[in-house]
Amino acid sequence: MIAAGFVDFEIAWRGDVYAGAPQSSSAAQFGTLGINFRARKAHDEAEWAEALGMLTCDA
Amino acid sequence: MTRKVDSSIPGVSRGIEGLDVESLRRVIQEEYTLVAVEPDRDFHFHTGRRLAAILSYDEEWLDAVPEATIASFAGTGNPFSLGRLAAGEHVVDIGCGAGIDSIIAATMVGPSGSVVGVDMTPAMIEKARQGAKEAELHNVVFRQGLGESLPVADSWADVVISNGVLNLFPDKLAALREMERVLKPDGRLQIGDILVQKAVPDNGKRDINLWKG
Repeated sequence: MIAAGFVDFEIAWRGDVYAGAPQSSSAAQFGTLGINFRARKAHDEAEWAEALGMLTCDA
Repeated sequence: MTRKVDSSIPGVSRGIEGLDVESLRRVIQEEYTLVAVEPDRDFHFHTGRRLAAILSYDEEWLDAVPEATIASFAGTGNPFSLGRLAAGEHVVDIGCGAGIDSIIAATMVGPSGSVVGVDMTPAMIEKARQGAKEAELHNVVFRQGLGESLPVADSWADVVISNGVLNLFPDKLAALREMERVLKPDGRLQIGDILVQKAVPDNGKRDINLWKG
């Protein structure tokens, strides 16, 4: 997300949205969950560079 | 802003080696054409009002949406649970399908706002246009296109929404960069999608049948 220019990424919800679906799928095999996430486009190059720098330091 | 990103950044990947992208798009279009024209079939995912209830869509939002549009709903999350859209905002709905989220968004932003729904499947675009016409909405348009090359101007949108679609892009970074391109600075992403808790092996990533379910 940060590489694409976003900051403030957050997964706000996750849930099993495939349980009981009419046809079986590979969803359970991989523990697939539905999610809601948010992020914000960086205000400017400086904010993005700061977020990218923090990511690199954490790695 | 010019993004100088490459695959040396941790977590960044560009596409999947050995994946036939054209075949993948064709299979996805076939699957979602069925969702558009035969929504009562059995799929490997929930659809329609049952799905909307699972994802906690407010009945109030659905009041504005034609029943045929709701029937072809096939998302995996709820972009509006991340925050209500404000009057006058510009919204892009990527992989809009039959248009349920675009129509809800158009209702939220009102006549001073504007919504562009984009989908690569012609049957979905046709159904979305019918839905908007039936709902008598004049602030939403639907355009056929790919998420990796959105038919939307730079920095046009206040909000990008999408629901169950990002996972279908082989090159996630390209799709996300397009979202970034069309957003204004400080613009918001409000996305429903999926995550996997167990890693998909490389041969699985090249298996088109696995992509569709």
